[in-house]
Amino acid sequence: MNFVKRYLLPRLIIYFLVIFIGITTVFIIPRLLPTDPVLQTITRLRAQGAYMDPESTQRTIETLQELFGLKGSLSDQYVKFWQRLFKGDFGPSFFQFPTPVMTLIKQSLPWTAALLLTTTLVSWLLGNILGGFAGYFSSRRWGKILDYFAMVIRPMPYYILALGLLILFAYVFPIFPLGGGYTIGMRLTWSWNTFLTLLRHAFLPALSLLLIGIFVWFQAMKLVVQSVKTDDFVKYAEIGGIKSNKIARKYVIKNAMLPQITGLALSLGQIFSGALITEMVFSYPGLGTLLYNSIFTGDYNLLMGITAISILVVTTSILVIDLLYPLFDPRVRYK
Amino acid sequence: MKKLLEVQNLTKIYSMGSIFSRTKITAVEDISFTVGEPEIFTLAGESGCGKTTTAKIILGFEEQTSGAVMYKDEPIKNLRRGDRNKVLREIQAVFQNPFSTFNPLRTVDSYFYETLINLKIASNRKEAEKKIAEKLQAVGLSFEEFSQRYPSEFSGGQLQRLSIARALLTDPSLIIADEPVSMVDASLRMSIVNLFKDLKERYDVSVIYITHDLTTAYYISDRMAVMFRGNIVEMGPAEEVLSNPKHPYTRLLRESVPEPDPEKQWTTRVHLAESEHEEYLQTGCKFVARCPLAMEKCRKLTPPHFEVNGTSVKCFLYE
Repeated sequence: MNFVKRYLLPRLIIYFLVIFIGITTVFIIPRLLPTDPVLQTITRLRAQGAYMDPESTQRTIETLQELFGLKGSLSDQYVKFWQRLFKGDFGPSFFQFPTPVMTLIKQSLPWTAALLLTTTLVSWLLGNILGGFAGYFSSRRWGKILDYFAMVIRPMPYYILALGLLILFAYVFPIFPLGGGYTIGMRLTWSWNTFLTLLRHAFLPALSLLLIGIFVWFQAMKLVVQSVKTDDFVKYAEIGGIKSNKIARKYVIKNAMLPQITGLALSLGQIFSGALITEMVFSYPGLGTLLYNSIFTGDYNLLMGITAISILVVTTSILVIDLLYPLFDPRVRYK
Repeated sequence: MKKLLEVQNLTKIYSMGSIFSRTKITAVEDISFTVGEPEIFTLAGESGCGKTTTAKIILGFEEQTSGAVMYKDEPIKNLRRGDRNKVLREIQAVFQNPFSTFNPLRTVDSYFYETLINLKIASNRKEAEKKIAEKLQAVGLSFEEFSQRYPSEFSGGQLQRLSIARALLTDPSLIIADEPVSMVDASLRMSIVNLFKDLKERYDVSVIYITHDLTTAYYISDRMAVMFRGNIVEMGPAEEVLSNPKHPYTRLLRESVPEPDPEKQWTTRVHLAESEHEEYLQTGCKFVARCPLAMEKCRKLTPPHFEVNGTSVKCFLYE
C-alpha cells in the first residue's frame, strides 16, 4: 500500500503531467514558426502555373485551413487537436497532402525501430560486458587495448566515422551498398532473399552506430566498475572470504549496473526521434529524415505526430524503468 | 608477553606522476614494531603519515617494497600463499567509514552467513545463526533487529557495531581498526572504544588501533607508536608516551589537544609544513622544518632510535 501511495502514485501523476505539457508544447511551437503551411501550398500551386483570382484564392485558403485543422481560434484548434489525438489521428500531412500523418509514420517507423532497437540493445549489452570485465581486471592487457580503441573511436565525430566506413566498405572495397534501405525497384516480400538484401543494406549504418555505442557504454561501465571495485565493502568481502567470482558478480557488477540501466531507458526512448545523421549519410529510410523534412516544409501535423509519439515513448520507458528500479535497488523499496 | 605480529623494517615506496616526471614517495620508511598477545597497540599520527598504508600491507591489500610482516613467527606472505582462509580467519579489519562497510544492494546478514560458510567456521545455517547471535550480543545488538535488513536501514553507530561483529565472526586473534571512531558521533565514540577494550579482556583479541585522536588512544592502548612521514618517531607504553612526550613531534601533537578548561588559552603555535611533498623528500630528520629544537646535524643525518625510560625515540636530542 505504501508502495502505491509513495512510489507509484507520484510517478504516475508526473508521467501524465509530462505528457500533457509535452504535447501541449508540441501543439504551440509549430504555430510560432514563421512558415505558414496554407500560404506555402498556395505558392506551390501558383508555381505550378495555376492562375487564381483573389476570390478563389480566398476560398482555397479557407478550405485548406479547415483541412489542416487551422480554423478558428487557437483554443478551438487546441480542443480539436486533443480530440483527434485520442483517436490516434494527427490529420493529413501538409506537404504530402492528403496522405495521413499516421501512414507516413508507419512507413518510416519499422526502419528506424529495427535499426536503432537492435543497435541500442546490442551496444548496451556488449559495451557493459566488455566494460565490466575491463574495469574489474583493469591490469590485464586486453582491457588496456580496448581502452585505447575507445579513446580513439569515442571522440571521433560520428559523421566522420560513418563517412569513413561508407568510403571504405562501399567505395574502396565495394562489399556493401552505397545507400538506401533496399535495392531500388525491389519488391519487399517474405523471402530469404529479401531478408539478406535488407541485412546487407543495414549493415554499415548498424556498424557505425554499434562502434560508437559500444565504446560509449564501455567507457562509462569501466569507470563505474573501477570505482566500485575500490569501495570498502568490496575489501570487506575479500577479507570475509567471499568467493571472488561472487564478489565480481554480486558486489561489483551488480552495483555498477544501476546507472547503466537508467542510461538504457533513456537511450531506448530516444530511438523514436530517429538517427538523422545515420539516415543522411547512408541514405537510409527512417523517422529522422521524416522529422527533418517536416521541419523544413512547415509540415506541422507531421511534426506534431512524430514528436507526440516520441514524447509518449520516452516518458513511458522512463516510467517502466522507474517502476522496475526497486527490483534492482533495495534502497528505493518501500515496505 | 607473547609476540603475535612482528613488523620488521617495513618500507613502502609509491611511484607517482606521469612517465615524464616520476617522483617517489616513501609512505612507510623502515618501521619495526611488535604487537603482543593480547594487547591494544596504537599507531598515531597526522594524515599522510603512513599509518593506513601499514595497515593495508598487513592486511595484504598492498605489497611492501621491502621488509617483512611476521605472524606468529612466520612471514605472513607465506601464510597467505599456503592457506588464505586461515589468515582471513586470524586477522580481521574494521575501517573508518561504517556506511561503506556493506554492499548497499545486499542484506547485511547475507554477508555474515557467507563468511561463516565459506571460511568453514559453521557447517550449516543453524550453526551460523547461533554464531552470529553470539557475536551480535558481544557488540550489543540483537539478532531480531539484524536479520533481513539492508545497510540503509541501520544508523552509523549500528553499522560500525555490525562492522566489528563482522570482524569478530571468524574469532580472530588480531583486529586492525583503521580510525574506527572518526566517523561516529561523539556520543557513540566511547561505547565503541570501550568495545575494543572489552574484546581484549574477554576474548583475548589483540587490536592495532590506528587513529589521529590521542584522547581515545590514551584511553585504550597498552603501547603506542607515533608516526610521522613514514617513520615511527616515538614508541613505548601509551601512558609514558603521552604523559611524558619526548620527541618534539609528539610534544606538538600532545599540545594540540585542547583542554576542556575555558581559563586555559590555546596558545600552541603550530608551524605548518611548507609542503607535504617536501617533507617526504627531506633528508635527515623529516620533522626538521617544523622542529623548534632542530640542530644542524638533523638536516643531514637520519637519527637512529634511542632508548629513554622504556620508550624508543628517533631524535638526536637523546643521543
